[in-house]
Amino acid sequence: MNIGLAKVTRSTLASTALIAIVATLAMAYTSGGGASRDSLIAEMLTNFILVLGMQVFIGNTGVLSFGHMAFAQIASYATAVVAIPIAAKAKSLPDIPFGLADVEVGAFSATLIAIAVTMVLGALFGVAVCRASGLAPTMITLAALFVVDQVVKNWKELTRGAGGLSGIPRIEGNGWLWVGAFVALVVAHLFQETRIGRFAIATREDELAAPALGIRLFSSRYAAWAVSMGLTALGASLRAQSLGSVNPKQFTLDAGILVLVMLVVGGMHTVSGAVLGTVLITVGNEIFRQLGDPQRLGIERFPDLFLGGTMLLVMLLRPSGILGDRDLAGWLRRRMYRRGPAVEIEPQVGERALVASEIEVLFGGFVALDGAGLTVRPGEVIGLIGPNGAGKTTLFNVITGIVPEQAGRVALGDRDLTDAKPVDVARAGLARTFQNLRLFKNLSVRENVALTALVAARHRGHRARPDPDTLLDDAGLTEWADRPAGTLDYGNQRRLELARAAALAPEFLLLDEPTSGMSDQESLAMVQSVRSVAARIGAGVLVIDHDLGFITRISDHIVVLNEGRVLAEGTPAEVRANPLVAEAYLGSSA
Amino acid sequence: MTKLLQTIVDGLGVGSTYALLALGISLIFGVMHLVNFAHGELITVGAYTSYFFFLHGGSWWWMPFVIIASAMLASVATELVAFRWVRNSSPFTLLLTSFALERLSHALWQIFVSPKQRAFPKPSWVFNQFKIAGVSFEVMDVVTIAVTAATLVLTAVIFKRTLFGISVRGAAEDFDAARLMGVRANRVISGAFAFAGFLAGVAACLILMRSPAAEPSMGSDWLLKAVIAAVIGGLGSFTGAVVGGLVLGLLETLTRAYLPDLADGWDKFSTAVVFVLIALFFVVRPDGIFKVSHAERV
Repeated sequence: MNIGLAKVTRSTLASTALIAIVATLAMAYTSGGGASRDSLIAEMLTNFILVLGMQVFIGNTGVLSFGHMAFAQIASYATAVVAIPIAAKAKSLPDIPFGLADVEVGAFSATLIAIAVTMVLGALFGVAVCRASGLAPTMITLAALFVVDQVVKNWKELTRGAGGLSGIPRIEGNGWLWVGAFVALVVAHLFQETRIGRFAIATREDELAAPALGIRLFSSRYAAWAVSMGLTALGASLRAQSLGSVNPKQFTLDAGILVLVMLVVGGMHTVSGAVLGTVLITVGNEIFRQLGDPQRLGIERFPDLFLGGTMLLVMLLRPSGILGDRDLAGWLRRRMYRRGPAVEIEPQVGERALVASEIEVLFGGFVALDGAGLTVRPGEVIGLIGPNGAGKTTLFNVITGIVPEQAGRVALGDRDLTDAKPVDVARAGLARTFQNLRLFKNLSVRENVALTALVAARHRGHRARPDPDTLLDDAGLTEWADRPAGTLDYGNQRRLELARAAALAPEFLLLDEPTSGMSDQESLAMVQSVRSVAARIGAGVLVIDHDLGFITRISDHIVVLNEGRVLAEGTPAEVRANPLVAEAYLGSSA
Repeated sequence: MTKLLQTIVDGLGVGSTYALLALGISLIFGVMHLVNFAHGELITVGAYTSYFFFLHGGSWWWMPFVIIASAMLASVATELVAFRWVRNSSPFTLLLTSFALERLSHALWQIFVSPKQRAFPKPSWVFNQFKIAGVSFEVMDVVTIAVTAATLVLTAVIFKRTLFGISVRGAAEDFDAARLMGVRANRVISGAFAFAGFLAGVAACLILMRSPAAEPSMGSDWLLKAVIAAVIGGLGSFTGAVVGGLVLGLLETLTRAYLPDLADGWDKFSTAVVFVLIALFFVVRPDGIFKVSHAERV
């Protein structure tokens, strides 16, 4: 973990500001008096921590979890069984196992124990959650909810079953809840500042591009999961001690959804969004509860209508939540950003060649690649052309580990990459761009480049690494550095993808149709961009394009693919003169 | 042997209801990448419709048609008022939208009818039993299995033979390509929702004959099981949905019946055991039994 002082300062500042706003509102509300007002604030504060717990995992990784309530339940019961006084326990839980009958600890220790127990169980379960992809993690967390529910209801010696446990010593006042909420805010902010937190966000933005740039899905998700478990346990433990009792009804799927609504209404990507959502939903729920009171409108379960309605409206009108990606911490980050001194790096041409040989790929019965191969020497620019369906992109995907080959070999110097996963291919020194643009759309332009620079700092330390700001300058994107990448126009998005790949300090850049959708003039400019970026970082280039003009201008050497085989190769002039190429590429009439 | 046979028939009975619901979920996922958490609400719609009709002299002779029609209408309506407007959003947004509809549906039934259960009569023959070679079976189990089988055959015919079915399968394979080939997006999607509604309506009939009562949140438990079944089978795969449903049903009844024999005192934990198995399954095969590769270009 690389937690610099600036990051801690920033997180603390943002957290202080947010908690100050909430505290001011809360004070204005509770000054009207009444214990019920204080208990509403207590409820809001514990919700706060639970929502932040969810935000750290769901918000940063984009993986939906229904199972957080299961772990909140574990934490609550863990708190109860160690905190309930021995005498009371002898009565309510006479057969309690694990020698817990003689255990009675204070509030602080109980909270820590709950966090530890939950994190250990969560860590085991998290392996399953974070290894899976698609909807499977969501289903696994849903399964967790059912399993924990049934175990709690039936392991009566430990939990007293469906009736729940009471007699947990209550913590006086809301003071400690405020402290807990503040701690949760700092942790959630700080997580987004750490390298692994940024990586988690990258995987949320694009599950395919992140590994292709050297970011491992599992480890970044797992880190988010672990931190998320800790916060969830903190919230649940404090809630148990604030209410003085626990029972399984507090941890149903519905209860989990209430927390989820708070998260998505404000905007799940940011901590500020989570805070806003918690306040809005808690307040709205209370207003509707009072409106539905028998003395007023007399509508039972009126808050449910508010919840469903709010969620639907937000999804239809602002799917990314009220705040979207706007956030106090992000604003601070931009304001506090200072360019480092521009360091001119000595271009370091690699010593290893990229060799793919005799590659065979079958898609069902269709032969996509039938023994194609190529070699890119250090610092060289190779153009890969061929008609549609010739297997160009498939060859790229084989080299970068996205598509498995049935036969053949891929190697970088003496490093065998044949069966390497995308993340390891990227870390070994091959950075790619995608035909259909896979930027981290909701992140700023600078962030896109900075993310791969972070990977480079960790895994490409042996190479001279380019400064992200210099790369942005070269790409002509400095002006837009703070804009979300998804809002750039097409040509700039292409240039950003190139800069992002270059920031990995790769030995080879693999560019999949870098000029598609560009005008002739832009294509010409792209020749310059690619050459200057490659020269700056000393990388060789393998580039696919349809635009013959572009390819002949940029390439030192051209490989022509047709029907999965290499049809011809040579200098641009040689390839141009080759009648076979003209026939395959332009049709026999040309 | 007798116990095993009865357990299997039981399991197929529950499983085929899951299968019908899972098929609808898988179908909708195929055409628009939506995991429809509001799908279970179609059962609730069918239940309340039955309740109102029985208040005014309904009869089980024609009730199934009313239930199915109401589920189809409700399904198409959810698409019109909600899903159509978020069609191009991320799967996450789509899922949460359906979730919001589910919540809203619960709240509306609670507010406008009652949070309490509303019961209506059941068909007289439901719990009758009959014996074949000394093994007794419940009539309803056999009816459930037969109706499901017939519905699945009908579904297969529609999706293999009719233009509508082929359009939907094409759209599930690659929506953009299907559109270029002249398939009309709105029509295919509305049609898919109508068909999912039909399947849910059939499932609702089978469920309501057994337990004829309407309750605001009755759809949720079925829905969760059906979603799990669909994902076990492989979302987007029709065969997968059916297999997933049957597997889940069998797994549940077999665990309930045989777990106490294997481990003393574990009968209380049968659901937990089932879900631990499911979680393990997803670790090994995150894409389900029948992996569906979607047309996504890299």
